[in-house]
Amino acid sequence: MSDSARKKQRSSLRISDATNTNPSTLYTDPVTPYRRATSAGAATPGSRSIRTPGTARTPRGGPATRPISRRAAPTTPHAIRALRERADAARTPGRVRRRSGRVQRETPRDILRDLSRVLARDTRPTEPSPLIPSRPSRHSALDLPDLEDGPEPVAPRLSIPLGDMYDDDDSIHEAPPRQSILPNLPDDADNGTIQSLEFGRRALSEDPRLMYGGRLSERFADLSELGMDGDEIEVDGIFVNRRRTINPEDILDQVPEEDMDETTTQMMLTGRRGGRPSDVDLGVFGEMEDETEEPTFRFTIPPRMQATIPRGDEEMGAGDAMDETILEEEEGEQEQEQEDEEQTYAGAEMNQDETAGLVIDNDTDQQLGWESDPEPNPDEDADLQAYREEISAIDRSLQTQSPERTPAQKRIGRQRRALNVSRFGLEYPSVPTATVKMLAAGFAKSQGSKAKISKDTLEALVQTSDFFFEQVGEDLAAYAQHAGRKVIEESDVVALMKRYVSLSYRYFTTTIDVVHPFTHTYANCTFFSPHT
Amino acid sequence: MPKSMYPRPTFKKILKAQSNRAISKDVDILVFLKYTLFMQALLDEARIETKKAGGSSGGGGGAAGGAITARSVRKVREGVLRKFKG
Repeated sequence: MSDSARKKQRSSLRISDATNTNPSTLYTDPVTPYRRATSAGAATPGSRSIRTPGTARTPRGGPATRPISRRAAPTTPHAIRALRERADAARTPGRVRRRSGRVQRETPRDILRDLSRVLARDTRPTEPSPLIPSRPSRHSALDLPDLEDGPEPVAPRLSIPLGDMYDDDDSIHEAPPRQSILPNLPDDADNGTIQSLEFGRRALSEDPRLMYGGRLSERFADLSELGMDGDEIEVDGIFVNRRRTINPEDILDQVPEEDMDETTTQMMLTGRRGGRPSDVDLGVFGEMEDETEEPTFRFTIPPRMQATIPRGDEEMGAGDAMDETILEEEEGEQEQEQEDEEQTYAGAEMNQDETAGLVIDNDTDQQLGWESDPEPNPDEDADLQAYREEISAIDRSLQTQSPERTPAQKRIGRQRRALNVSRFGLEYPSVPTATVKMLAAGFAKSQGSKAKISKDTLEALVQTSDFFFEQVGEDLAAYAQHAGRKVIEESDVVALMKRYVSLSYRYFTTTIDVVHPFTHTYANCTFFSPHT
Repeated sequence: MPKSMYPRPTFKKILKAQSNRAISKDVDILVFLKYTLFMQALLDEARIETKKAGGSSGGGGGAAGGAITARSVRKVREGVLRKFKG
């Protein structure tokens, strides 16, 4: 800053103090802000240190032309007149309206306006050239006159019709957001701050039960809605339709433990598709597969059959009929939603369900009283009749633990472990318990807790592992299909791994021991973690 | 080590049945690696849950600092499964 400018500022400040109690300057310096801050509020009009065009004529010469000394008041008439003129200009009432001079120098808008003033003289606004329809290059004989010039097509309606608001297939928008869980208290209740207490909600879109749509093992809620109270059986001619509520295999697995308490347990049990040991392979029922090739299934769930309904299935054999009963309930659980289009699929899956249902027969015939033997039992009709008068065997087995059901009987015809059936109708063994136990014990020990894994914990872990492999298989199949392959390759698993890393990398922080599957040596795998 | 920790045919069968597709050569091993990570995460969460249950109620079946309970496993497995969803 030059010395003259500083001098100018000081002197003008003093002068404006004398004239109109203005603390700021009239003469503005490059460092001095041109305008007061808006927080300065109601200042005197002179505080707006604006050089209007009128004040632009104020003498602004160099220090040689300024008669004002540093300390003294202006004495010369020229200086006095100049100061008065300046003060008058500051008090000009229309000064606020004439801000253009100041603004023009300040804001980019005014720079643009300057530019526009320069440009507007010699530019013309762009006229859009009329759109010439392009001549199609096809043969002139094909030019039909005015093909496109028909009536204006109706503009598509972009809104959702009102009918969709009510028949909603997507259950996400169905339920309104849950209100707070506060109880309804009377207004005069002394509840303190409880009215303002709001617990956390979870969005329906983030509900973990809805996150795994399409996967059977997560449809806990739907399946548990079937209820635990009673099955429906209908005998229509030779067909027995029965609605199943509990997977018998799960019940059998669950019988030795008393840990049936949790609702989550129930949900998991009902949601899980049963393991069916298909390693029982009786030849007689292999023959029956052929005669049940006809579409003998109907998946409608009628009310429970009572004992008065006449039965016409004597020639089919009660064992076979009950096979179909179990079979129907196996299928009926799966196919309730998709009855019609899945008929052929069910028929294809029936063959292996045949043997599966047979083993369930073996498991349940102690209570039911009918035999699953190939040769028809003479008294099985009466027993079957008696069975149908009762509540269903599955629920009964859930309610009462019959004393004759020993674990030895439970494992009839079963060698090693249960065989589950995947969504595709393929049987698969459950995750080996030894592997799960070893892994779990190792992790539990490395995490600091006891390495002992109790039996029910192990069972829960095995079940979770089944779910995990179901999920992984589905994901890998989706990845492979997306890549256009029929074979799942390593790259799919790598993609899955990468996805996992991006989801949760904090589990990579620890070191785990992995046994190499071939060499049986311990490999110490430490994974990369961005946190460590 | 009495038996193989990784019964490979079994895991191959499981994977093949669940995906209904052919499996390339070493896919099952990679999946098993992922499975170990899953188990680690699951047990980690279950241990935390067990500690929480044991600390709060005391009667929740979880001895404080003790073994992991089945209840906690069932409680946390949904979240962990979702975390491992591809």
